[in-house]
Amino acid sequence: MSAVRYCFLIFSLSLLAACGNQDNAGSGNPETWPSKPVRVIIPFGPGGLADVTLRLAGEPLGDLLGQRLVMENRPGAGGVAATSTMLNADADGHTLIVLTNGTTIAESLFEDLPYDITGELVPVSAVAWFDLVLLVNPDTGYTDLGTLLADKNNDLRIATINPGSTQNLTAELFKTRAGVDATIIPYRTTPDVLGALLRNEVDLVIDAYTALKGAIDNGQAHPLAVTGEVRNPAMPEVPTAAEAGITDFVVTGWNALYAKAGTDPSIIARLNATIAEVLATNDIRTRFEELGVEARANAPEDMQERLLADIEKWREVITSAGIDTL
Amino acid sequence: METLSLLGMGFEQALTPEALMFCLLGVSLGTFIGVLPGIGSLTTIALCLPLTFHLEPLLGLIMLAGIFYGAQYGSSTASILLNVPGSAPAAITCLDGYPMSRQGRAGIALFITTIASFIGGSFAILLLVFFAPVLANFAISFSAADYFSIMILALTAASTLSVGSPLKGLAMVTFGLMLGMVGTDINSGQFRFTFGLPALTDGINLVALAMGLFGVAEILNNLNEGRVPQAGKEKISFKQMMPTRDDWKAFRYSCMRGSLIGSFIGMLPGTGPTIATFMAYAGEKKLSSTPEKFGQGAVEGIAAPEAANNASVQAAFIPTLTLGVPGDAIMAVMLGGLLVHGITPGPQLVTTDAALFWGVVASFWIGNVLLLILNLPMIGLWVKLLSIPYRFLFPAVLFLICIGVYSVNNNSVDVLLTLGFGVMGFFLNRHGFPSAPLLLGFVLGPLIEENFRRALVLSDSSLATFVQRPISLVFLLLTVALLAFSFWRKNNKLDNNPSQARL
Repeated sequence: MSAVRYCFLIFSLSLLAACGNQDNAGSGNPETWPSKPVRVIIPFGPGGLADVTLRLAGEPLGDLLGQRLVMENRPGAGGVAATSTMLNADADGHTLIVLTNGTTIAESLFEDLPYDITGELVPVSAVAWFDLVLLVNPDTGYTDLGTLLADKNNDLRIATINPGSTQNLTAELFKTRAGVDATIIPYRTTPDVLGALLRNEVDLVIDAYTALKGAIDNGQAHPLAVTGEVRNPAMPEVPTAAEAGITDFVVTGWNALYAKAGTDPSIIARLNATIAEVLATNDIRTRFEELGVEARANAPEDMQERLLADIEKWREVITSAGIDTL
Repeated sequence: METLSLLGMGFEQALTPEALMFCLLGVSLGTFIGVLPGIGSLTTIALCLPLTFHLEPLLGLIMLAGIFYGAQYGSSTASILLNVPGSAPAAITCLDGYPMSRQGRAGIALFITTIASFIGGSFAILLLVFFAPVLANFAISFSAADYFSIMILALTAASTLSVGSPLKGLAMVTFGLMLGMVGTDINSGQFRFTFGLPALTDGINLVALAMGLFGVAEILNNLNEGRVPQAGKEKISFKQMMPTRDDWKAFRYSCMRGSLIGSFIGMLPGTGPTIATFMAYAGEKKLSSTPEKFGQGAVEGIAAPEAANNASVQAAFIPTLTLGVPGDAIMAVMLGGLLVHGITPGPQLVTTDAALFWGVVASFWIGNVLLLILNLPMIGLWVKLLSIPYRFLFPAVLFLICIGVYSVNNNSVDVLLTLGFGVMGFFLNRHGFPSAPLLLGFVLGPLIEENFRRALVLSDSSLATFVQRPISLVFLLLTVALLAFSFWRKNNKLDNNPSQARL
């Protein structure tokens, strides 16, 4: 009996020791990083764009790094839950977070965020970029934005998902830039928005290209313009908003990986290089293209510049549209 | 005829050894997580999604779908045996399933729910095979005003869900509606009643509420009453599982009605199986000539909701596959699985990817048959659960509830909420306030509000929109008819049988 106990004790002790070792090795030592699976916190539920793109890229990324990437969905509250989880983790490069243009909106939309993302998080790299699209029901016969606006100048109904989303604020920005008096009708989900367009209860839909790519391919929705700076290679015939006559109306959505401030710069550099390598592979490029997004990494400082610029941009939209902050 | 030959091609696709294997894998996993209280198909499907990136799209979808509808089979098991629902839609099965179990009829109840699940699922699959495009276009034509009127009908029917005092039932519906207001205002984006808790900004988690009110409350109740496990040690023979003639009689039509209600609700995007099961139950009770039997182990009270549950999840594939409009989060995850492969569900899917579409449809039916074969022999085993001493069983159940609730949003506040709702449910139940109307009010409230406000925005604030739209008008008239019928019956009863007047 005592022998068994002794064995058990040894076993437990060695287990403890092993755990302890792991922890030590994992405290941000750039030489041994990554010494355990890397958590990636996703501020959305499973199945969404951020989730699917990260899961797709996460696998080859894990292969190259020699450790798996484990996705952790923390949806809700404009990313507050996700960011709080991230900030509770160690700054050792074993926990990363996905930020999106939605994060930059939350910066001005929420009055008292319990953290400061510009100071407490550091950029790693962008992962995916996507356009928003302005769509009509093909049955309406509209083929260009100018005619639609001329016809509905005082009574345009725009459907988007919920207030505070990139889509919704893009619609606000559109109202200002196009100088139209429009009602923005919020729906809960993109499928609801698509349903509204299919039964013709709204004139215009503004949503991510990727979310409604299927509807466009199937001829259920007709794109009048894209919000990117240049035309979308998947739909070269669709003009940009500027080409369609709306100046200074450019919105590009993105997903990027961030780490906690204080993470060793060499870990960030290695991650950045590996992400760039993965996103340049044909497999990932084509898979992302099928989803309607562009796979493109960037330098950490470019990413941060982008983040700060977008925070400013949406702050302006929120103020000028008179949206109540939370 | 063309449909049948296409379906034949579908079966060719779905009967390959790999397809069968993934179908079996999906439905087995589904049944398993369905039985476990609180652990839902959304979490499981999300976990399995990355696996499908490497599979052929057909195989991946067969497996994910199998988890989804398989879970509905299992979810009533714990409702019947322990009064703890496996998922929110199965909460209503507790009302009559658990009394049946206390009467020693657990085997029969499980048999009936399995058969009802099979019939409900098969019915919706037939609709999917023969009428999918027509039905999908019909379903998508429902606008905000129409949704509002349907939900009003559902809410009116909900008043029958309570067993005891109607006033207490009504109070609980109202309480449910109030809980449903917690979260983000859909029109302004403002937070309401969130008390600064980020966990509440997306509303109270349905799983937390259902598991608290039905699961934790029941466990507390058991501890309080010091109940002991029932006998159930002897082996259950097939004969003991067989429903009696009267059971079959009650089963027949209620199962059909449940299938119809479930299919209808299921194909409307944004509704979900919880509304389907509660409406099916309320409908049965309204139609029954012996409504007083409900809550005492009425066969109709488990057959209709179970049929509705499975019909609704199968019918949810109708708008998803033919229009690319997923009805809920689970469907959206499955669509995500297809999009990764460059397949975009929509009106053209049936022609451009005919093999995929018909293969999946055929697999649904194969899956349902597999579930039937899988579940019937399991009944005896499940009933044996009842002989486990509560000191082992309840901690295990509580543990599973915690994991299940946590896994929905990976949020520990939800677990604490579940505990809170459990304590609340315990005291409410003790004072005769029923939980089912609360849950229905909670599910319907946000839909009613959202659609009412949207309907008004769309109609430039004209209330006339609710009677001008034909679909909406029909449902409002049905609501009026239902109310009139209730009053008429109540008065009749007063005349004929004064002693029953207070029922």
